[in-house]
Amino acid sequence: MNIELSDITRKFGRNTAVDRVTLEAGPGVLGLLGPNGAGKTSLLRMLATILPPSSGQLTLLGRDPGNPADRREIRRRLGYLPQNLGYYPSFTVVEFVEYFALLKEMPPHLVTKAVAAAVEKVDLGSKAKAKLRTLSGGMLRRVGIAQAIVNEPELLLFDEPTAGLDPEQRVAFRALMRDFGQTATVVVSTHLVEDVGAACSEVALMSNGKIVFRGTPAELTVRGETGQGVGDAPLERGYSAILAAARA
Amino acid sequence: MSAVALSRPARVLRIEIRRSVVPWSVPLILALFFFDSYRTAAGFPPNWTVHASAITNNLAWDFAPFAAGLGAWVASREGRRNTGDLLATTARPAWARQAAALGATLFWLLLTFLAAVAALYIQVALQATWGGPPLWPVVVGAVQVVTLAVLGFTAGALFPGRFTAPLAAIGAFLLVFIGFHAALNLTPDSSTNALLSPATGLPLEDVGVFYHVAPDVAIAQVMFMGGITVALLGVLVVAPVFRVRGGLSGAVGRAGRPLCAAGVVLLAAGVAASWTAFALTGTAKLGVSGWDIPALHDAASDQPIPYTPDCAGTAFPVCVHPAFSGDLPAAAAALQPVAAELKGLPGAPVRAEEVPAAGEGVSGTPPVYHYDGNNGIAPFLGSPAGADNARWRAGFQQELLTEFIAGPPNAGPRPDASVLPPTAAQQAVITALMTVAGSQAQFGEDMTNGHPTAGATPAQIDAAAQRFASLSTAARHAWLAAHLPALRVGEITLAQLP
Amino acid sequence: MTAAEVRTQPAAPASPAWTGAPGVRLAWLHLRSRRVPGAVLALAVCGGVLRAALHWHWTFTSGFLAQQFPMIIGGGAAAVVAMTTHSPFGEPERATGRWLPYLRLGTALAMTGMAIGVLQLAVTGASLNGGIFTLARNVIGITGIGLLASLVTGGLLAWILPMAYVAFAQYALLEAWRNPWTWPVRPPDDRGAWICAAVVFAAGLAAFTVRGARTAPADS
Repeated sequence: MNIELSDITRKFGRNTAVDRVTLEAGPGVLGLLGPNGAGKTSLLRMLATILPPSSGQLTLLGRDPGNPADRREIRRRLGYLPQNLGYYPSFTVVEFVEYFALLKEMPPHLVTKAVAAAVEKVDLGSKAKAKLRTLSGGMLRRVGIAQAIVNEPELLLFDEPTAGLDPEQRVAFRALMRDFGQTATVVVSTHLVEDVGAACSEVALMSNGKIVFRGTPAELTVRGETGQGVGDAPLERGYSAILAAARA
Repeated sequence: MSAVALSRPARVLRIEIRRSVVPWSVPLILALFFFDSYRTAAGFPPNWTVHASAITNNLAWDFAPFAAGLGAWVASREGRRNTGDLLATTARPAWARQAAALGATLFWLLLTFLAAVAALYIQVALQATWGGPPLWPVVVGAVQVVTLAVLGFTAGALFPGRFTAPLAAIGAFLLVFIGFHAALNLTPDSSTNALLSPATGLPLEDVGVFYHVAPDVAIAQVMFMGGITVALLGVLVVAPVFRVRGGLSGAVGRAGRPLCAAGVVLLAAGVAASWTAFALTGTAKLGVSGWDIPALHDAASDQPIPYTPDCAGTAFPVCVHPAFSGDLPAAAAALQPVAAELKGLPGAPVRAEEVPAAGEGVSGTPPVYHYDGNNGIAPFLGSPAGADNARWRAGFQQELLTEFIAGPPNAGPRPDASVLPPTAAQQAVITALMTVAGSQAQFGEDMTNGHPTAGATPAQIDAAAQRFASLSTAARHAWLAAHLPALRVGEITLAQLP
Repeated sequence: MTAAEVRTQPAAPASPAWTGAPGVRLAWLHLRSRRVPGAVLALAVCGGVLRAALHWHWTFTSGFLAQQFPMIIGGGAAAVVAMTTHSPFGEPERATGRWLPYLRLGTALAMTGMAIGVLQLAVTGASLNGGIFTLARNVIGITGIGLLASLVTGGLLAWILPMAYVAFAQYALLEAWRNPWTWPVRPPDDRGAWICAAVVFAAGLAAFTVRGARTAPADS
């Protein structure tokens, strides 16, 4: 298992963002759904080793992120795309991805090729030497994806990765996720249920810091048909049915 | 070097150097350098030591605000650009990232600094006739730039707000100014810790010309500023530990004990170095080679620098230190007419020679007129190359006449450079001889204080001088030959002048 | 099936904390977005340092060099004012109604006055060579430089040109320059210096009011 969470809790003052979550995940694509403020981003940040849990046991890639040496090893094998991607406008696409490849301690002799491959995978080859400030919002998002995948990570975390991408790019990104999911654990937090349906092998639904559903997209769809879900798509109905039950 | 051959840190550094914000400020820095340091140094005589003082006195002003302000700007980048979380997920620790950003900033600042130093040294190299480029001022200046940049960087890293950069720039300016102010108020009797300021004004006379420049103070300055730099780097290493929630022990555990230990060691070492330098400068004493710090002093630097003087003039040879060879023709031309008036008189000097300070006077057998920088060719302000050539010439001539006529006969070198104020009759004779030589004497008011002939007015002295100057050369010479001893000891009154 | 059964009831709208005039509220929010409270703190730091320097004689008390320290502090205060030109909103703010230029004008004037006031407070009771009028003139003129610089560099880097000018003025002071455009080194009653400083400030204020600080990221 690449992700093992046992009774993980994260508090911010009096607010409990993540409430005794237990989760295990191996290779595959895990979709993380939930309303705003459900705790998805906090959970993702803990998986990204930038936020320590307030309590509970967290093991990533068989290592303890509380230990500095283990944490460094995890980060070498980690790819993370936050919801709000910061960047340096004067860097070019290649420089930005190369910068992160080097910070992730990739072997230097592999960096150039890996950067080129990552930039091609997100279809920015023609913009490789363009400065980031000249790119559109969607292109910047793809640059963010490129830096996340450049080191062929074993644990890949995406927070709203398809925001700003056109439909064609979204389709390509889902294929990318499925591709990575064959060997790595991909966790994607998103509001777009069609992303979940198309790419995820499993779905976890969070509400008020807890995981209220864990299963396949098909199982979520079934819950929508049997519960009181609302929405235009089966997954939407399943989503709202589970939330309604959780709140009840 | 191919991209593959470069190590990881070198490649990160290369990206940072290429995309650094500092080069955008280089034209502004160079413009300031031209107006301030370069033009100021252009007015200096062609003396390496004096020109090098522009590095620590003027270049510091030009670089201080940019080094600190841009350092703070670069350090606050992660906060401004919202890349903190993203960068925190990478394997390289924060100090390694910061080192690359700081390294790139220092690269551009030091490159610009060294280019400015090169321009200053080329400027003097094209004119200097003796000596070579001193390196200690360059080292001190470079360390100062680094220290200010690290100071700003640390402020920006710890307080990544928008006002940190201008406040860091202003703070650097003020630090340079306060140090300069303290150094200018330095006296041998006051606390000498102000020597830690690299900006100390123009160098002491004779240092770098007749005597070696003792590196004691420069070593202490480098130690002080270097210690501050190392301590700040320690703060940068340790600081992220204290931002982690969960208490100190939890933070130390997460950040790693070795990292904390390294940071603490750097902090302690830096503070120790700075404190040692502070204590050392407190023991400084004024010596021939400048300020000496006993614990750092090498007695060999007190030995005079051997040189062969340059001389000109056949009737009355005038010799200068080879550092001032450019001024030799003017010096020789200035003294010939007054020396001709004195020729043959008892004790009249047969030549003039430039010597270190406190060695002026007419002495030796045969008598030689010894003059120093203050009374003749000064290393900085009083030279033929200065603004008022006629004034300099007159002053140079007057000093010879004053030493000969008003100074104690054969008194030899005097530790105290001051001459007793000439009596009225002495002033009148000096003025007359200057007039004959084509120059105008300058005496301060009430120069007759404490002498038996006190009370003569300037008008009376001028009148007596005109009478004496109107005599024929032979008559003037004969009178001086007969009355010189009495004139020297102040027994001649104005009325007794022919 | 409708959504009514599963929708949670919306919470009652929070009552606004502010019940005063909307114009005042707008001005206050604008000031906060420009980090004016932080700027006031930064100005207080400048004033405190000036006061400390006068109290503990860190600076020359007479002669032409006595102008150096207050000049540096004045330049710092002006740089802080220039930093408040930065807008965190960028283009969306420009695509709003007619109030933005007035807000910019008011903020710049208020901050300049605040800078002079804070420094005046700092030197009250202490003897400042050149007097507060020289300090005020310097702040006004150098703020004008900062406002003009913000149009090119953006608000966050608008401190660079004022700092460069202060460094240049130090040299002009030592060389006893007489040009009115080196107003920081001129005597307090020098009319040309006042005119020059006022013109630069007016030009900067006008340009900033109309165009605002450059909104492109300062790093580029």
